[in-house]
Amino acid sequence: MKVVLLGLNHRTAPVEVRERLAVAEPGPLLAKLVATEEIEEAVLISTCNRVEVVALTRRPEAAWLRLHSFFRHELGGDAAPAGEDGRALDDMLYDLHDANAMRHVLRVASSIDSMVVGESQILGQMKEAYRVAREAGACGAILTRLFDCAFATAKRVRRETRIAEGSVSVARVAVDLARQIFEDLPEKSVLLIGAGEMIEIALEALRQDGLAAVRVANRTRAHAMELAERFDASPHGLEEIPALLQRSDMVLSCIGGDAPILSVPMVRAALRERSSPLFVIDIGVPRNVDPAVNDLDGVYLYDLDDLAEAAAANAEERRRETVRAEAIVLEEQQRFDGWLAALEAVPTIRDLKSRAESIRAAEIKKAAGRLGLDEAQREGVEALTRAIVNKLLHVPVSRLRGQAEREQAFAQLEVARILFGLDDLPSDDDE
Amino acid sequence: MITDLLQITAGLYLAAGLAAWVGVALESSRSMRIAVAVLTAGAFVHGGAFVAFHLEKKPPPLTDLPAAVSWMALIAVIFLLVLLRRARLAALVGVVAPAAFVGVFFAALRLPHPDAAPLVGSASPLPHLHVLLASMGLAFLGVAGVAGGLFLLVDRGLKRHRRVRSRWPSLEALDRVNRVALAVGFLLLTLGVATGVLWVASASVRESTSKAHEIWSVLAWAVYAVLVAARFGGHQRGRRAAVAAVAGFAFLFFAVIGVSLLG
Repeated sequence: MKVVLLGLNHRTAPVEVRERLAVAEPGPLLAKLVATEEIEEAVLISTCNRVEVVALTRRPEAAWLRLHSFFRHELGGDAAPAGEDGRALDDMLYDLHDANAMRHVLRVASSIDSMVVGESQILGQMKEAYRVAREAGACGAILTRLFDCAFATAKRVRRETRIAEGSVSVARVAVDLARQIFEDLPEKSVLLIGAGEMIEIALEALRQDGLAAVRVANRTRAHAMELAERFDASPHGLEEIPALLQRSDMVLSCIGGDAPILSVPMVRAALRERSSPLFVIDIGVPRNVDPAVNDLDGVYLYDLDDLAEAAAANAEERRRETVRAEAIVLEEQQRFDGWLAALEAVPTIRDLKSRAESIRAAEIKKAAGRLGLDEAQREGVEALTRAIVNKLLHVPVSRLRGQAEREQAFAQLEVARILFGLDDLPSDDDE
Repeated sequence: MITDLLQITAGLYLAAGLAAWVGVALESSRSMRIAVAVLTAGAFVHGGAFVAFHLEKKPPPLTDLPAAVSWMALIAVIFLLVLLRRARLAALVGVVAPAAFVGVFFAALRLPHPDAAPLVGSASPLPHLHVLLASMGLAFLGVAGVAGGLFLLVDRGLKRHRRVRSRWPSLEALDRVNRVALAVGFLLLTLGVATGVLWVASASVRESTSKAHEIWSVLAWAVYAVLVAARFGGHQRGRRAAVAAVAGFAFLFFAVIGVSLLG
């Protein structure tokens, strides 16, 4: 039994190709895929960054052809646009086998292979892919075990490394910093200055963290009203900022204009009327807030560069952690490999025992006729020979079941089959 | 028995402090939880030691410095454990627990103290009450000072745009701890000073008390009164309040502990 994987991801294929191949309902396609004789089990992972099929097969070459055909026809790869450099679909696909395929599944689940290393979404997406495959009857015992192993590995990686620590997006870094300042973020109020796309992205991130009280101030009040309506906020004009500052805990500014919107005297005046700290995020270019505001007691000012620098530092920290994560993945993959190798040994062990038993039974039969044994003597000889056979087979069977490296295990199985003639036709003597 | 319990307590406080620092350094919430659990265990054993101490001596010689320091450490730890239920403050364990360890370790070396001379007027509850309340006040103000120190650390990191450890408490939580500890601590200290004044006022003990201790205690109380007035009357907050809490506690520590040791 071989594990094979065919797929493409954000590193090998542009978004136009990935979105063309993405599958909303993979269940029927998987059912069709495993109905063919080349594929025993299959799971289709389809996210915005990757489309991959993990499959189990007895015939790797045929499975490889079938999976390529699956990508071209069933997933619509033939209709996908070529890459910017004119690359065809086949050039974007990667195929992995056995240990490499298993390790890849474990790496994907652990978010080592993600565009944003350490992100948590991929694990949920893989669990969903696995659930769909199970429901479609495409996922059997071996891929179930592989995915269970992948989920356990992902959990271990998160527990034992810092791969998911520290935010790597500017908006999330801002929220993390806010948590260093404020105890109960959802209870805080935020003032947004501007109504552009950046403000909207930041607003979404803040809303995810439960921030309810949001005020939007903009030069064009109509734009502020439009954004405020969509996000259940209150709209204001720029002239209201001095009064709003007194009631806001966070200020996020991204608005055009050369003159600073927030000056030191304005913020100082607001501070006299408030008792809690003020967190100011200035992502405008040119900057909307006088940098000297950061010198005021109780005010924490961060601009776009500060946030980007923090995000980059966190991303670098995560990348460093991937070394430790890779070691965990390798360890878990070898453990799974050992289990699979032991599983591969089952037919050989069964054949070996069956062969030994048939020889023993035939010899007893011959001897019993020749020696004229009575029932009690026959039972004694039966027990004696069975014990000898079991003792002789004990060591080879244990070795075959052992958690050896996979390549070594396959070689051992092959040698055992040749040495004991397990693939030969039974001779007359055996009967 | 008391010494054994105090030694176990000191060990647990030290372990809690180390676990908290590991938690801060590795940003591990698991280590933080372990730190809090070990600190809680330490507080229970410490409480047991305190009960055993009271069962052994009647009235307990709390006026003895080691006993007062041990009591102070217990109050600070209990106050911190109460605070931990309300806010993300586990990192404070990293400072309070080692300080409590030092206090309890010192007490374990000196307690029980059979040679401690009975105080003049010890039949009255005043000396006991004085030490009990003043020590509690000092413990609360100690926590305020620790919160103030940590506030300055986090504030500095945020102002200079340096990476702040995610396990540090938020500035707002530290400021709140500072405010609550200051209010409760000052109230207890005031009661402690008042009972002390009443005790000293009784003619029978006037000769036996240390003049330096009396003067410094009243001076420390006055300094703290100014800090409290600035904080609650003048709406002082943030960095200034934190600096005041640290400086105030340092002054009070010298006035009460330093003068007792040097005197």
